[in-house]
Amino acid sequence: MSTAWHSPTTREEVLRLRAELGEDGTLVAGGTFLGVLMNNGILAPEAMISLAHVEGFERIARDGAELRIGAMVTHRRLEFDADIRALCPMIADTFAVVANPRVRNWATIGGVLADADYASDPPAAMIALDARVVLESASGRREVSVEDLIEDVYQTVIEEDEVLTEVIVPLDQSAARYRKFRTRSHEDRPCVSVAAVQASGGLRVAVGAVAGKPQIFHDICALAKGRAMDSGLAREIGTAYAERIDPITDARGSSAYRKRVIAVEVRRALEDLAA
Amino acid sequence: MKIAFELNGTPVEVETDPANMALSVLRGECGITSVRGTCGIGLCGTCTMIVDGKTTASCLMPVGALAGRRVETVDVLNEDDPVIDAFIEANAVQCGFCIPAMVLTVRKLLEDNPKPTDDEIDMALAGNICRCGCYAKIRDAVHLAAAKGNPA
Ligand SMILES: Cc1cc2nc3c(=O)[nH]c(=O)nc-3n(C[C@H](O)[C@H](O)[C@H](O)COP(=O)(O)OP(=O)(O)OC[C@H]3O[C@@H](n4cnc5c(N)ncnc54)[C@H](O)[C@@H]3O)c2cc1C
Ligand code: FES
Ligand code: FES
Repeated sequence: MSTAWHSPTTREEVLRLRAELGEDGTLVAGGTFLGVLMNNGILAPEAMISLAHVEGFERIARDGAELRIGAMVTHRRLEFDADIRALCPMIADTFAVVANPRVRNWATIGGVLADADYASDPPAAMIALDARVVLESASGRREVSVEDLIEDVYQTVIEEDEVLTEVIVPLDQSAARYRKFRTRSHEDRPCVSVAAVQASGGLRVAVGAVAGKPQIFHDICALAKGRAMDSGLAREIGTAYAERIDPITDARGSSAYRKRVIAVEVRRALEDLAA
Repeated sequence: MKIAFELNGTPVEVETDPANMALSVLRGECGITSVRGTCGIGLCGTCTMIVDGKTTASCLMPVGALAGRRVETVDVLNEDDPVIDAFIEANAVQCGFCIPAMVLTVRKLLEDNPKPTDDEIDMALAGNICRCGCYAKIRDAVHLAAAKGNPA
């Protein structure tokens, strides 16, 4: 049987389709993650709901002290958008190092957060920035921090009638750095990634690609409270993160290797922050 | 389902399952064999097509997503396109498997950036893999094509 293809143009229509089709309706954003699943026979959707033509989903807007990024904004746009570069350059720096230009042309911020791959770059960055997502359904709307959105590898709190419509990033950071440590080719996913953000609420450090979800430890970040960042403090926090994390082993590095890289990369990210 | 789009300047309509990947429909129903499937996971670049002006992995895009869009493959270029000439002059080809996608990606690069640096070339072609390892000569070909200029 042929797959049903829906191409809604309004938010109301998407939410209605989502409510009607439930788990039989697969949302398609850039398709770069879905395509891999479909080609490998892991997924054969009964119905596909394309988000490509929904009005308003590609908007980038400043809203007071926050940045609102529509779910369908592509990696490529985030890499080059002048407002993003001016307001929060770490977002551009992070999306610029994902995959290759062909993938970045289509992959979206909503797609990468909804697929919740452990080895993606943007989740750690968004968590360090204390970003939240808007989840909408026909029956309501809620906001969830990216920290709470991602539960584990490929697992989020998004319900089967919900759509991630927007990402909201506070703009209160005084410094922010994203570091991607690769062990294979330039366009590969990270072995270890570190996002470090100094914001009004304090320091936030998230380490990606080392566990089922990005790792952030608020008690360790609190060591920076009232202290100026210097190489001693950077080393202390790096060591504490490495001790706390029990890293996975995959083709990009063993657990023991990752532990050493975490200590070094967290230290470097914090030294970059201070520089 | 019937899916209508523009292919290399001509309107086409295909009758197929919208979940089929563009790669298989281009090669099958549309007879365009310059797009080539290898990895099927967006890594190698041999399946590159241009959709609404953007390089795209045809192995990852369900053909349903092409409805109403403008699709281009290397076949859209004139045979005397400076990029094609430059690849031949620079001897940037061995088996040729990766070359249609390389030429298409380079054509697009030069339209956006007529005089790219080595770094910019490497960035634009990151993800276009050449198993024969012609990378250095491909980079020479890009500089050569840049010197020839874009077609009017
Ligand atoms: C070759 C290759 C290399 C890669 N390298 C990297 C890398 O280095 N770093 C990195 O971070 N990532 C990498 N990726 C992953 C890439 O970032 C993701 O595939 C991409 O971001 C997914 O976005 P998409 O818009 O294509 O999502 P899609 O494939 O369209 O969707 C992904 C999932 O999210 C769901 N979904 C999509 N949008 C929404 C929404 N708005 N609301 C609710 N659910 C939604 C879909 O149903 C699907 O389950 C790579 C991918 C490829 C193919
Ligand atoms: S076949 Fe599409 S990128 Fe390799
Ligand atoms: S010339 Fe053989 S793969 Fe590139």
